[in-house]
Amino acid sequence: MTTLDHAKVSESRPNPPKSLITKLNMGTGMIVGIVFAEVMYFWGKSMWDRQEAVMENRILTLSMFAWCIGFLIGIGAFIGPFRWLIGKDLTDEEQLFLAGKGQGVSRYFRYCTDHKVVGIQYLVGVMVMLGAGGTMAMMIRTNLITPGSKWVNAEIYNSLVGLHGITMIVALIIVSTGPFGNFILPIMIGARDMAFPRLNALSWWLLFTAIPVLCSAWFFGGIPTGWTAYAPLSVQAGGGMNAFIVTIIIFAISSAIAGANITTTVVTMRAKGMKWNRVPIFVIGATISVAMAIPAFPSFMASQMMAAFDRTIGTHFYDAEFGGSGWLYAHLFWIMGHPEVYVILIPGVAILMEIAPVFARSPLFSYTTAVVGLAGIVGLSFLVWAHHMYISGWLPSLNGPFMVTTEMISIPTGLLFLVLLGTIWRGRPWMKLPMLGVYALLWNFLIGGITGIYLSDVPADDYLHGSMFVTAHFHYTLMGAALTGAIAGLAYWFPKMTGRMLDERSGYISFWLVQIGFQVLFLGMFAAGSQGQPRRVADYEQAFATSDLISTIGAYLVGIGMIVLLYSVVHSWRKGKIAPMNPWGAKTLEWTVPYPIYLENFHEAPVVTSDPYGYGRSEK
Amino acid sequence: MSDQHEVVDLPPTPGERLRNAMKARDVRITMIFGVVITAFFVFIGLWFYPKFMPEIMSESMKRGKDVIVYFTVISAPIAGLVIAIALYTLFDRHHGDTPPEEAASFRTHTPIVFVWTLVSAIFCIVAIVWGLTEMNVNSEDATANAKTALVVEVTGSQWVWTFNYPELGVQSEQLNLPVDRPVEFRVHSVDVNHSFWPVQLGVKVDANDRVTTLAHTTPNVLGTIDIKCAELCGLYHAYMETQGKVMKEADFNSWVTAQGGHVA
Repeated sequence: MTTLDHAKVSESRPNPPKSLITKLNMGTGMIVGIVFAEVMYFWGKSMWDRQEAVMENRILTLSMFAWCIGFLIGIGAFIGPFRWLIGKDLTDEEQLFLAGKGQGVSRYFRYCTDHKVVGIQYLVGVMVMLGAGGTMAMMIRTNLITPGSKWVNAEIYNSLVGLHGITMIVALIIVSTGPFGNFILPIMIGARDMAFPRLNALSWWLLFTAIPVLCSAWFFGGIPTGWTAYAPLSVQAGGGMNAFIVTIIIFAISSAIAGANITTTVVTMRAKGMKWNRVPIFVIGATISVAMAIPAFPSFMASQMMAAFDRTIGTHFYDAEFGGSGWLYAHLFWIMGHPEVYVILIPGVAILMEIAPVFARSPLFSYTTAVVGLAGIVGLSFLVWAHHMYISGWLPSLNGPFMVTTEMISIPTGLLFLVLLGTIWRGRPWMKLPMLGVYALLWNFLIGGITGIYLSDVPADDYLHGSMFVTAHFHYTLMGAALTGAIAGLAYWFPKMTGRMLDERSGYISFWLVQIGFQVLFLGMFAAGSQGQPRRVADYEQAFATSDLISTIGAYLVGIGMIVLLYSVVHSWRKGKIAPMNPWGAKTLEWTVPYPIYLENFHEAPVVTSDPYGYGRSEK
Repeated sequence: MSDQHEVVDLPPTPGERLRNAMKARDVRITMIFGVVITAFFVFIGLWFYPKFMPEIMSESMKRGKDVIVYFTVISAPIAGLVIAIALYTLFDRHHGDTPPEEAASFRTHTPIVFVWTLVSAIFCIVAIVWGLTEMNVNSEDATANAKTALVVEVTGSQWVWTFNYPELGVQSEQLNLPVDRPVEFRVHSVDVNHSFWPVQLGVKVDANDRVTTLAHTTPNVLGTIDIKCAELCGLYHAYMETQGKVMKEADFNSWVTAQGGHVA
């Protein structure tokens, strides 16, 4: 119940074990990774030194995989499995070292198994990715400021669109379940760590290896296909496409590992007394989200492996000339793609359902309804993928059934609204930063949801498909709802993750800039789409000039707001007000541990006797 | 039922409870908000939104627009309710560094959950039935017009649309159509995927390599059509556009003759 002085942390510094593990870190990983990639590259050149695209693609793809494997070897990811192979395991000292005991900042650059370290690594990684993706968004909007601006040429523009898309999708998939799912979730359920700490570290460092690969796309001709990377366009694309493929394959493995880990942790490691109906709703949301990713992403991975085969050894999975089919790709992609948007959305909404009771001082309205709503979305989301293919001509007679399943999602989605509204109804909202997110979500998700119903309807989609309307719609759901939830979560858990409060003034300024700019940006884009502007165009006609100018102005507001948020986070992290143990008076378990949190979170295993939503005066 | 008067303290019936709830001040104010916001969204849907749609030159385009307009109107009460509740709670805000006083312990309310689910299910069914009906009308029109339709073969290639009228022996990079005559677009691509989008006609279909996909419509207004590509197709995707004209039958026939074709 007190603020802890950071300097008085007395975790004794153990003698580090004399083993290879202590010598390895991010730096050695990079060195070994680059050496592997170079060796692979020059070996490939000597083997297949021909001026064929297939050979070039093969060499690049293998070099990128070599980098990933080299990096993981260099950082020591395989020391444990290697010991198992020779019938041993890591010693206790080595395990403590891996958990980062008494290592200070350097543990963030190692293969560290402590879930709190992994959470911070994910947080910083996500912020870097959002920054990169956001910068690209600003460049896209700058190019669209007036018709014929030609600020960048069409080639660079297309690359920007593709890289912005995939960077943001990857960032948003992990934006909540990465930082909060790793840092907060185990403490929330009263666990000492994740079920598989080494896999946890592996999932982060795998993802880390994918980031330079994705960035390298710039130097090999970009990703000129949009993030959907439809075949046969992707088969035609230059070397940057290899980077996309490798990134997705690595990311699919990483998210499968993370998903298995979080799911197992929640199923097996909950505190004593934490029955399923006492689990905090964020934990349910995060678990559902990563559990959905487990069946969804392999389909994406398969689609990219087949694309890789087409590009590197000359198969014809997607080439109609030799019996392949672009529709095959579209199906594999969207079988991942539609559950995936809910993988992004659900944790964001769940964070806000966690926040709303705390700041309205009122119990979460109808916990069961919340769970049913989340589960209903999961169930339906696997049955709707072909609504992305209404106009593909694939099988028009199936448009009807897919329209039915898609529109049915509005029912469980409506339940989530009911839960949030029921929670804040007749409460006095405490207008702290996290609570603002709840209101922002209600508006943004409402717009995103209703426009989604238009798009799910075939006659309307005949007109709107592939237009800016679609872009605006999914930004309302993914950014307006999911990212808003994640930022609210950051403001909410910042005290627990950094020991300091997030600066309120800059936080408010950022919130309003981002949210107002966001409305201007995407309401303008709805207009452009309704007028008939296709998406992903580098240039457009005079008729759309006003809508696009409005959008660009909104985009700059969002950009400024995000820079303010970045300042707020960096400033607060370094010099912010020291946070009390439970600044919000919340009842979940993570607020019962002081900062800095012990290596294994709890000195005594907590026992749970009720759900964490016992707010409100007792009636009668 | 006869011994009902023996009971002294009847619990309030659901009807009475509803009437009592409606008398509460916050419920009344919220409902007023809800009505105003609903009206606002109805206004957006009926009047404001259609201004952003291009000229409507076919029944299929009109159906698409109607779906958007009426779905906005149908969902207006939902939006009204959600925003009204959120707005109302904002009237009694709490600031400062300590939490506000505890609210009422309002854990769940089965009738509300039930009614909410039921109402959203009804809205959902309305939307589904509406959509299926409109879709069905579109495809019935297509079947009915199959014999009389003017066939236009549309070829997408990076980054040009070409139009071939097989029955008339004309090939052109401009799409000209006679007014009030059903048309069947047979669309394919010779390279990557494109998406054929004659904007004012309200239809759209992908162009795939080695597959022919169909789109049916009947232009019923004279004027210019913007033809665009709605699927990212490489470097000059943004410039893969051309214009078309819906013209009187006589004008169309003389255009066909001028192009060296023969009028059927």
